[in-house]
Amino acid sequence: MQTMKLSALDPQEKETTMSVPQTALAARTQSPAYTTRNLRPRPAAVRPAARGKKLPIDDQRLIERLKAGDHEALEAIFNRYSGKLYGVAQRILGESADSEEIIQDVFWTVYRKAKTFNGDSQFSTWLYRLTVNAALGRIRRSKKHKEVAYDEFLPKFQSDGHHQVRPVVDWSDTLDEKYARHEIHALLGNALDELKPIDKSVVVLSDLEGLADREIAEALKLTVSAVKTRLHRARLFLRGKLALHLGHSAA
Amino acid sequence: MAKLKQSAKSRLNDSCKRMTDLIFNYLTDQLSPALKDEFERHLKICPDCVNFLNTYKKTVSSAAALTRAAIPPNVRKNVLAFLRRKMHGIAAIFLYFMTQLTG
Repeated sequence: MQTMKLSALDPQEKETTMSVPQTALAARTQSPAYTTRNLRPRPAAVRPAARGKKLPIDDQRLIERLKAGDHEALEAIFNRYSGKLYGVAQRILGESADSEEIIQDVFWTVYRKAKTFNGDSQFSTWLYRLTVNAALGRIRRSKKHKEVAYDEFLPKFQSDGHHQVRPVVDWSDTLDEKYARHEIHALLGNALDELKPIDKSVVVLSDLEGLADREIAEALKLTVSAVKTRLHRARLFLRGKLALHLGHSAA
Repeated sequence: MAKLKQSAKSRLNDSCKRMTDLIFNYLTDQLSPALKDEFERHLKICPDCVNFLNTYKKTVSSAAALTRAAIPPNVRKNVLAFLRRKMHGIAAIFLYFMTQLTG
């Protein structure tokens, strides 16, 4: 029961149901041209059940209680966000990683630094920022990450600007025919792990978590335009990886 | 000569490379009406770009469908226990100092 209630507190849910100024994410999901995000299963599964229920205590209230030293507020924040943040940390660090320490540090920082949170960004953006920073810090310290050159997997063009390898094959339907869902997940998961950690973080926050470019920029301290550039390039890389797996040219 | 240059330039403007750079903003509906129109006109005459766009979209939707690792129950339990310990530790130290001050 508690889980259901908490899932309804998803910050994205708040964005779409409250009459706040239209965010980039909302604009995106409402755009007829942008169909990919509509395929994200999680929010769609959460929203219908959440409608019509009593409004949850919002983040602002919880953070105020936390600032006043209310321990239970931290536990409520933990219950609301730990699953989401654990998934993000785990995805950035790689499947075999142990994200317990990351999550522990994030929530302890939230408790200690609650007073410094001034509400300029969304509370969830702050939590994402703490989590991604902690995960990136761990990758930096471990020095385990191997840099992969993207070029081999990016599209290539002739001097007149046309695709270098023609025809470009549309394998969008054959991907699901040729591979089972778990195989595609493994394939994409491995390809994600080859991205530069910062690029992987951008993809995770955007395509997996559904954050708006502006929120990602805030969370990663990048400009919105840098987020877009990194995201586009990373997607092209992932696309190239999938194309090659299917026996087609990445170009 | 000038006409030739102009025609080469317009071909390049209309090139697949340029269209590939526009995909991101096209999918988020952030292109200006003129650019959007140009992009869609190019799609009508270029099956390569249509196929490229489809595979780009498929990549994004496949990434979006990746499942999130669930937090294991023991991790939840451990972290909650850690937070309670630390919070109560701080509260105990605070109380100690308060009693010292007031006592």
